[in-house]
Amino acid sequence: MDAITVKHVKKSFGDHSVLKDMNLTVKRGEIFTLLGENGSGKSTLINILTTISLADDGDVQILGHPVVSDAGLIRENISLNSQTVTLDEEFTGYQNLLIIAELRSLKNAKAEIKQISERLDLTSFLNKKVGKYSGGMKRRLDIAMSLLGDPEIIFLDEPTTGVDPKNRVELWNIIREIRDSGKTVFLTTQYLDEADKLSDHIGFLNDGKIVLYGTPDEIKQNARQFVQINVDSSNMNLIDLPEGMVVSKNNKGTNFIIDERNTDMCIKILINENVSINSVVPQDNSLEEVFLDITKLDSEGN
Amino acid sequence: MQSIKQLMVLTKRILKQNLTNVDTVITVILMPLFMLMFFVYVLGGNIAISGVNASTGEYLKYALPGFLLVAMAMGSAYTAVRINLDKTKGFLKRLHSLPIKRWVILGSHVLASVIFMIISESVVLVAGFVMGYRPDLSVGNFALFVLVSLLFAFTITLIAIPFSLKASSIESAGGFSYIILMLLFVSSAFIPMDGMVRPVRWFAENQPMTALVGITRDLLNNNFSITSSNFLQSLVWLVGLIILFSYLSYRRYKMFSVKL
Repeated sequence: MDAITVKHVKKSFGDHSVLKDMNLTVKRGEIFTLLGENGSGKSTLINILTTISLADDGDVQILGHPVVSDAGLIRENISLNSQTVTLDEEFTGYQNLLIIAELRSLKNAKAEIKQISERLDLTSFLNKKVGKYSGGMKRRLDIAMSLLGDPEIIFLDEPTTGVDPKNRVELWNIIREIRDSGKTVFLTTQYLDEADKLSDHIGFLNDGKIVLYGTPDEIKQNARQFVQINVDSSNMNLIDLPEGMVVSKNNKGTNFIIDERNTDMCIKILINENVSINSVVPQDNSLEEVFLDITKLDSEGN
Repeated sequence: MQSIKQLMVLTKRILKQNLTNVDTVITVILMPLFMLMFFVYVLGGNIAISGVNASTGEYLKYALPGFLLVAMAMGSAYTAVRINLDKTKGFLKRLHSLPIKRWVILGSHVLASVIFMIISESVVLVAGFVMGYRPDLSVGNFALFVLVSLLFAFTITLIAIPFSLKASSIESAGGFSYIILMLLFVSSAFIPMDGMVRPVRWFAENQPMTALVGITRDLLNNNFSITSSNFLQSLVWLVGLIILFSYLSYRRYKMFSVKL
């Protein structure tokens, strides 16, 4: 059974259609990362998956249960970490954890708080007021609150935003540990390197749909591939490649990045113009380039 | 049963927030006390009641019911602030994803608000006793006084909800409480209405706070009658405001939930 299945989901706010025909599957025990521009509908989707709001149309199942009819049961098995930390700064870390433990009616609240605090290295700070915590510690405590009750799926909405690099790496380790303990992590992030390093699968959300899905490597391989052509600088003035074919070029006009599919045609044009070609090298795609390419294609209407 | 337990957990949380926050304690508990002492010991002897300058004790007897309502009205600002903070910090969102019935979430704010206002009112009442205030009330009138206090606290809590859910910051969330305070100042709460200029007097006579101060005063002075205009007007105002703001609160909460 998959952790999450989303079929043909639509959601609009007034005339603004946010999710158009959303389809997605998240397997159990993996880290799935949802990427998309600001306003692309990531939070809307998370709200639907966490039973906070309803889709206008389509079918959503969490752990095999439909969100519409089994919302109560689903809430027992999920937890949500919002973009902002949801802590009471006047209270101690322990008091914050206890509130969630009591709301989830945990029988061994104290034991579970102790165990999670040790796991997230929070024990020595538990009796201090949260107002005195650093940003990274607050994030860790916020995640600890989400782990109480042993939920099957943890939704982490941009958990590392505003966190310094050292704490970011620590949070990555925590997220991996959660996955390694058999839980499913549904992650959103602004950092593409984070998605690359952490994710088992990634989905690119664009224009209300998942436009790319796969492992980080699959996505990089299956995305539009680019080739860099380096020409001799003495031939610069002769070069007359059609503008639509060139994705980018350097200031000197000696390096061209082109879509791999246009390689043969470009080389033919350059040879016909007697331009000396130094090298033709395939480019390694990073997730960032793939992301930028997708959003650029979308803004160009392709 | 689980919902009641969760209601208690969340109510305790909000009460603890209020009672451990210095700003809240100063505004809702200490400020009404300071105002009470200022009015009684500084202004009281210069205010004419029934045409003659009142003694400190007479003024205290006249004004204390109004200060009880002021203490509660000041608490309503913090009701709005707490709800707004939970909204802007994402705590409401977290609660919506937990196995909690939706009514429990807002219900805890309402319950905590009413309890906090009653605490604030009790502190002012005890201070009044220390200053020499002696009410003249039967058990039945005392029970009615408690009921009126609870209904007033409930009403201004309901008024706070739509403002708190609509406001984009805590600074604007509590702003509505100034309207309630202004209504209390332009009423019979602290001075008789006889000397007010005509349009202001007309406004004071016909707004809800005058009737509510009047019924509180009647109950504490053993002058309560079920046929009195204070009672009938208070009843109409309270029932009307509860119906109106229950609807507005429900609507705003529903809109907020959809927009989450």
